[in-house]
Amino acid sequence: MSILNEIERDALTEIFNVGAGRAAQSLSEIVGDEVRLSVPSVEVLRTAAIDEQVLPRTRGRFATVSQKFDGPFDAEAVLLFTEDRALSIVRDMMGSQMSLDELAEFEREAMCELGNIILNACLSAMADMLEITLNSSLPQYLVSSPEDISDRLAATRNDDSYVLVLHIDLVIEKHQTDGHLIFLLSSSSLHALVENVQRYLGKIGLA
Amino acid sequence: MASNDSGKTLLIVDDSKVSRMVIKANVLAVHPDWQVMEAGTGEEAIAQVEQRIPDYCTMDINMPGMLGTDAAAQILQAHPSVRIAIFSANIQEAVQTRAQQLGALFVAKPVTEKSIGQALLHFRGPL
Repeated sequence: MSILNEIERDALTEIFNVGAGRAAQSLSEIVGDEVRLSVPSVEVLRTAAIDEQVLPRTRGRFATVSQKFDGPFDAEAVLLFTEDRALSIVRDMMGSQMSLDELAEFEREAMCELGNIILNACLSAMADMLEITLNSSLPQYLVSSPEDISDRLAATRNDDSYVLVLHIDLVIEKHQTDGHLIFLLSSSSLHALVENVQRYLGKIGLA
Repeated sequence: MASNDSGKTLLIVDDSKVSRMVIKANVLAVHPDWQVMEAGTGEEAIAQVEQRIPDYCTMDINMPGMLGTDAAAQILQAHPSVRIAIFSANIQEAVQTRAQQLGALFVAKPVTEKSIGQALLHFRGPL
């Protein structure tokens, strides 16, 4: 079953790419170099499907930054990188002359900042383009095993919960890394999001 | 609008169908007599330009395959008369500079009536 039609998926991908572009601009100011950040794909899955489709691609622990937001729809946004990738991003952000001990000390702060930049850029692009207001909480950083994440998902999982999964490509200082941005949504919030996308498409004459 | 603006051809290059349709609708609202061609990748754009040289072109940067800036460079090298506006969500300095170096106009996405207005001004050229 496809929840978004082609044109709705296309519109959401464009919205998140505008967000990614804004985030890349902020990140490039931090690292003093060009940053490539793009969102090549957006898909909506049932919460139950995320274990198979996202989590088993990697072994080891995940570094996650999550933020709750509310507005016409409520969701929890979770930015997900594998832990070793997160550390190399932090190294690029803080400068490579730092020792590993020093890096570990800054990891939480740097990852929160990265999450804050990416999540807020995506939320602000979504709010601007859909002409809505979204309020967000402070970002929270957690290092979790895939099982912890499954448990967290299971806590919110019921028959009508969904996840909006964005694949993220990030290149800082020539280092390529990838991660996921996941939005956990209830069925009613997903429908409100789809309605807002349809309203946006209607306004630009496409629905 | 100047009368020499009539009957122009515009090539819209973007992998997002939504973006292509927004650009097309807004341009046709101002210039109903323009002919619009569309391409979803840089490679496709270059092939279309070989078939028919447009007067103007809007070019996205991040697309599957080659970068829009590279496609624009190739098109301008073969056909320097084409006026190109580069539409991108990637608003970093380095990207804007690249567009300017090519002699194209950089326009920040999202595609809106306002950003399309900037592109149309660039197409018209200095008055």
